[in-house]
Amino acid sequence: MPVVQTRQLTRTYNPDTIPVHAVRQADLCIEEGEFTSIVGPSGSGKTTLLNLIGGLDRPTSGSVHINGTDITGMSDSKLIDFRLWHIGFVFQHYNLIPVFSARENVAFIMLLQNRDKDEIARRTDELLDEVGLEKRKDTRPAQLSGGEQQRVAVARALACEPKIILADEPTANLDTTAAMNLLDIMTRMNREKKVTFLFSTHDQRVIDRARRVVRMLDGAIVEDSCHEG
Amino acid sequence: MLTLLTLSWRNIWRHPGRSGALLAAIIAGLWAGCLTVGAMNGMLKQRLDYLINNEITHVQIHHPQFSRDPYPRHAISGGDQIKSWLEQDQRVGNFSFRTLTDGMLQSAIKTSGVRIRGIDPPSETRTTRFHEHLIAGDYLEAQVRNPLIMGQSLAQSHNLDIGHRIVLVFETLDSELTAAAFNLVGIFSSASEHYDNANVFVRADDLKGLLGGEAIVHEIAMMLHDADQAATVAADLNAEFTGIIAQPWHELSPELQTLVDYGQVMLLIITIVIMLALAFGIINTMLMAIFERLHEIGMLISVGMSRVRVLAMILLESLILTLVGALTGMILAAVTVTWLKERGINLELFASGLAEIGYDTIIYPFLQPGEFVLIVFVVIVVTLLASTYPAIKAIRIDPLEATKGK
Ligand SMILES: Nc1ncnc2c1ncn2[C@@H]1O[C@H](COP(=O)(O)OP(=O)(O)OP(=O)(O)O)[C@@H](O)[C@H]1O
Ligand SMILES: [Mg+2]
Repeated sequence: MPVVQTRQLTRTYNPDTIPVHAVRQADLCIEEGEFTSIVGPSGSGKTTLLNLIGGLDRPTSGSVHINGTDITGMSDSKLIDFRLWHIGFVFQHYNLIPVFSARENVAFIMLLQNRDKDEIARRTDELLDEVGLEKRKDTRPAQLSGGEQQRVAVARALACEPKIILADEPTANLDTTAAMNLLDIMTRMNREKKVTFLFSTHDQRVIDRARRVVRMLDGAIVEDSCHEG
Repeated sequence: MLTLLTLSWRNIWRHPGRSGALLAAIIAGLWAGCLTVGAMNGMLKQRLDYLINNEITHVQIHHPQFSRDPYPRHAISGGDQIKSWLEQDQRVGNFSFRTLTDGMLQSAIKTSGVRIRGIDPPSETRTTRFHEHLIAGDYLEAQVRNPLIMGQSLAQSHNLDIGHRIVLVFETLDSELTAAAFNLVGIFSSASEHYDNANVFVRADDLKGLLGGEAIVHEIAMMLHDADQAATVAADLNAEFTGIIAQPWHELSPELQTLVDYGQVMLLIITIVIMLALAFGIINTMLMAIFERLHEIGMLISVGMSRVRVLAMILLESLILTLVGALTGMILAAVTVTWLKERGINLELFASGLAEIGYDTIIYPFLQPGEFVLIVFVVIVVTLLASTYPAIKAIRIDPLEATKGK
C-alpha cells in the first residue's frame, strides 16, 4: 500500500475572481521508505502540494490517501488527530514552541499522543542524540542555531512515529554546512529506520541527494525520475 | 495536563511588561475594591451598632398602631405583665419603658416640632448609652421641676442655654391641647444633627402626669445578651401578648434597611466597574498575545494539537494571570484591612457632612471570608467570559499559518 496516493489532485485559489491553479490534476504515489524531493521554480505549486498531502489545506478536486485512508473529506478535528498520529512536519520557519527547550518541544508531541511518561523521556533522549543535539537538549530555540532548530524539528517530527515526514524547503534558511548536516541526518533516518521523506527544495545540492525527484511547473507534475542518491 | 499549565505560565511571561501591567492593574483594582467594600462594611456596622446601642435597642414593643399614628392614646396595655415576662426571660438584658408624644417646642424666638421622649433615667441609662452624649449640664436626675434636655443644635437655633425655660405644647389622652413649662438642664450632642434637632428628653413621670394617665407607656426597648436572638424574642413576645407588636431592630429602622440596600448597590457598582476594567484588560492582552502568535498556534494545530487543547491553553493563560493578580490584590487588601481595623481610616476631611447624617469620622474597615470567596468566584467567571472571544479567535487559526513566510 503506498504511503501517499494522490489522484487528480487540484487546488485552485480564487476560483470566482482570477483563478490561480496552484496544483492541477497531480497524480503522485509515494511508497514506504522513499526519499523524494519536489522541485520546481517559485510559484510552481510545491508548497501547495505538500500542504494538501499533509491535510493542512483542502483540495478543490481530486483526493489524497495516506496509507490507504482518504483524508479528503475528513472533519477538521479528525484531521488534526490524523496528522498527530500519521504525519510529521518540518516547516521552513515556526517549527518550535519558543518557551520550550529542545527536549520539551520533542516531548510535547508525544504528550499530545498521551504516551507513557517513561517512554516519552526515553524516546526524547534517543531522538535528540540521533540528530546530534546531545549537548543542547535543555536549550530553548532562541539560543539554537537555524540548523540546530531544524534538527529539533526533525526529531519532533520523528517522535510521533509518522508514516511520512513532509518538509517544505527545510534547508532554505541554512548555510551549506548546516544544510548538508540536516540532509545527512534525514538520509540516515531514511536508510536506518525506513522513514519516508517527502520534501521540497530549490537547492541543487539537496536535489542531488534525493533518490527520486518530482518536478513541478505551473501546478502540474511534469517529470518524475528515480536515481540512486 | 501539567505541560499545558507550564506552557501557559511561560507564555504569560514572554512579555513581562505587558503581563506585568495587566497584573498590576488587577492587583490595584482588587486592592482598592476590597478596601472600599471593607470601609463600607465598617461604616455600616458602626452605624448599626450606634443606632442599636443609643436608640433602637434589639427589640421594641409598641401599640400596633403607634408607628403609623403616634397618638398618646395608642399606648401599650398590660405593661406590668410584660415587665415581669422580661425580667424572667434569660435572653433579655436591660429594658426601658418610654412615654412618647409629638409636640411643639416654644422658646422666646421660635417654635419647632419635636418628639418628646419621656424616659425613666435609671433604667434608660442601663439600657442605652444615649446619656454619654450629654455635653453640658445635668442628666434628668436634676432636682428641678420638669427638667428637659435637648440637642446642642436645637438649643443654638433657639438661642437657649442651661437654666432657660421653654414651653412644650402637645395633645393629651383626651385629645385636648395642653402646654407646660420645662427647665433646660442639659445639652447633648449625638452623632446625628438631624436627630438632635428633632428630639427632646423629659422624665416619663412628668410627661405621664401632663398627658393625663398613670401607667401610660408607648415604647418598651430592650437589649438582649445576643443580638442574633432579636427575631425570636420578638416572635415570642408577639405570641405571648395580644394588643402589642414586638419588632426586632432590623424591622424598626427603615434607615438601616435603606443603608443595607445602599451598601449593596454601591458594592454592585464597584464590582461592575472593576470587573469591566478586568474584562477589557484581559480581552486586550489576550488578543495581542494571540495575534503575535498566529504562526506558532498554526504550527501547533498543524502538528496535531487539538483545538480543545488550544482553547484550554488560552483560557489557562488568562485564568492564571488574573488569579495571580486577584489573589495578590486580595492578600494585600487583607493585610491593609487588618492594619486599618485597629487604627481606622480618618475621614475628618469629609467629616462635617458625615457627622450631620450620623456617621463616625473614623471608619474601622473589615471584610468577611465570604466576601473574599465571592470576589474570587466573580473574577474567575469574568475572566473566563472575557477570554472567550480571544480563545475563539485562537481556535479558528488556520494551520496554514505555520507555512507562511516570515
Ligand atoms: N493563499 C493563496 N491565495 C492565492 N494564491 C496563492 C495562495 N497561496 C499560493 N498561491 C499561489 O499559488 C501558486 C503556487 O504557490 P506555492 O506557494 O505552492 O508555490 P511554491 O512552488 O511553493 O513557490 P516557492 O518556491 O516560492 O515557495 C503561486 O502562484 C502562488 O502565488
Ligand atoms: Mg513554497
